[in-house]
Amino acid sequence: MVKLLRKIFLVDLFTGLMVTFRNQRPKYIYTEQYPGERPKVAERYRGAPRLNINPENGETLCISCNLCALACPEGLIVVTSERNEQTKRKDLTTFTYDTSRCMFCGLCEDACPVDALELTQDFELATYTREGQIWDRQMLEEGPRPTPYKC
Amino acid sequence: MADEQKPEGSQQPPPAAKPAAPKPAAPAPKPPATMAATPWTSEMARDLKERFGERVKETSTYLGQNFIVTTPDGAIPVLEYLKLEADFDYLVDITAVDWPKRADRFDLVWVVYSFARNERVRIKTCIFDGFKPPTAVGAHLTANWLEREVFDMFGIEFDGHPDMRRILMPDEWSGHPLRKDYSILQQDQRWVQENLGIESGQ
Amino acid sequence: MPDSTFLDSTELVLNMGPQHPSTHGVLRVILKLDGEKVMGTSCVIGYLHRGVEKIAENRTWAQFNPYVDRMDYVAAVSNGLGYCLAVEKLLGVEAPPRAQAVRVILTELNRIASHLVWLGTHALDIGAITPVFYCFREREEALNIFEKYCGARLTTHAFRIGGLLYETYDGFEREVKAFCKMFPPKVDEYEELLTNNRIWAGRLKNVGVLTADECKEYGVTGPVLRAAGVKWDLRKAQPYSGYEKYDFEIPTRENGDTYDRYIVRMREMRQAVRIIEQAVEGMPEGPIMGKVPKVIKPPVGEAYVSIEAPKGELGYYVVSDGSVQPYRVRVRPPSFVNLQALDRMVRGGLVADVVAVIGTLDIVLGEVDR
Repeated sequence: MVKLLRKIFLVDLFTGLMVTFRNQRPKYIYTEQYPGERPKVAERYRGAPRLNINPENGETLCISCNLCALACPEGLIVVTSERNEQTKRKDLTTFTYDTSRCMFCGLCEDACPVDALELTQDFELATYTREGQIWDRQMLEEGPRPTPYKC
Repeated sequence: MADEQKPEGSQQPPPAAKPAAPKPAAPAPKPPATMAATPWTSEMARDLKERFGERVKETSTYLGQNFIVTTPDGAIPVLEYLKLEADFDYLVDITAVDWPKRADRFDLVWVVYSFARNERVRIKTCIFDGFKPPTAVGAHLTANWLEREVFDMFGIEFDGHPDMRRILMPDEWSGHPLRKDYSILQQDQRWVQENLGIESGQ
Repeated sequence: MPDSTFLDSTELVLNMGPQHPSTHGVLRVILKLDGEKVMGTSCVIGYLHRGVEKIAENRTWAQFNPYVDRMDYVAAVSNGLGYCLAVEKLLGVEAPPRAQAVRVILTELNRIASHLVWLGTHALDIGAITPVFYCFREREEALNIFEKYCGARLTTHAFRIGGLLYETYDGFEREVKAFCKMFPPKVDEYEELLTNNRIWAGRLKNVGVLTADECKEYGVTGPVLRAAGVKWDLRKAQPYSGYEKYDFEIPTRENGDTYDRYIVRMREMRQAVRIIEQAVEGMPEGPIMGKVPKVIKPPVGEAYVSIEAPKGELGYYVVSDGSVQPYRVRVRPPSFVNLQALDRMVRGGLVADVVAVIGTLDIVLGEVDR
């Protein structure tokens, strides 16, 4: 008898639906509206490389010590510099970073004595060409510019 | 700790940097000569020396890890003895180390473990290139793939192995990658061209 | 093996893989079948061979560290721990207590993450689709902790030789504790779905039996060995990284079939939570980096160091010639050795069981082929 009533009033169906609707609470929704709304990655995330500049005068922080190039397991960083006759210091001329071979291990970042080279939170590194993966100094200083999307 | 110095210039990818001479220090006769190993004295070590006499050359310990150096024909008997008499019933690993400057070119290493004693022992032997050491498959079935891998990587053929084929590299590949004279950029050009239809894998 | 078999009219040679969804990667198994019955198998591996050991000989000791993450990529932290311990052994240094505690927490979280991948994919192979979503949901929480701690989710490069590079972030302990609180009920949830499920038990019980003696003969370690009744775990047998301080049990079962391996792994996850709770509770203060020179140059010598990775005994045999580069790094991969027992486990069984057995061995082809 009870069984029949359960069947008539669709008790099982409603219990099932309750579970379904309970999981519709916004708290449980994991879907991200990706290009419109970019996920927030962790602070220590190792993403796109960046060569920091001094915000006051726009000069690079890099002292061209070449330590990052030596630390890199893949040998993908090439630093060239020339000696400045006046200050007796090395001035950075070019800095290339081949992101196509980078495995984002962070060893270059650890090696840098002046925090000039940094792996940032940018993660959108896709390009249309192979050559686009090789970043020069200007690209490294400006960082990638992801296309903004509207939702 | 990240700023290790590499021995040479940085522009090139590090692989190309190491043609043939990884400067294996100086020890032409034997590597343990420079390894600060101390003699290993225990009942088992004595027992082994008594039983195998000349075939057990040395029983030492380094960093708290015991190892036995045997003559090439003594390794398998020692392995079998350890399994049957001393409960070393788990063959952990077989591997080799290439020392191209030495007359006996390869170090062949077996690692065995005993569940009952909770003890690990390495058996080492030096063999020359082309020597065919006897297989350990009779004593431990694990040896099957492990020996195939050693053959694949070093070109050491095991005598009496049931299935001596390459395991990781393609069957028709020529060359044995983990030998020190095999450069990291080297590849079997002919195989790549025939099978992949490209000029080069680099 | 497959040559003469075509002549026999009752036997069929079937190629499974390398692009088969339930071979967990690029494993190719050649099956010799008599109807539904498996008469023999032979594995073809090496599709993912990258020559990790060769790469090691051409990098410095510290530079090789990120590469080991790429072997067993679902348990990258364990790989890194094994390598760091091996080099530390050669150098004769030990990580400070705080570093050891953090290492234990992350390794155990990684063990949970690895087992969750195993459970999800294994259940998917058997035909239960729900667990994979549940498992990946919880795995996400563990990976989030990795991401916040070291900046990467999968190929973490979390440890350095001599200790740690990163100090824990703010809220690390709170999040780990929250994970420990959240996780055991989730294991109950999985067990509710599977343990007493008739289809699940029917598909797994008495399938792929491997007795304790066979395990030793084949060198099989990890949960597969423990499911056969051998109470052996390197964390207890030869403790490393401070495991002797923690109180936990080694789950074992007797039959050594696929179902028992499932039970053992489920209990292992609970034990991992127990270890994490203890480690995070008594986390000592202090430095996180041991006394390691800037240029790592271990003295001439060799060492074999192994740890209990989620899949079994993961060993590193490292040889130094006193230079900045490793002379030889040999990895003893648990998956490679365990996979060898596949033939014994499926012989005489049904074709459908091959899928279950590959799943239960918990192989990662990145580690098999290296």
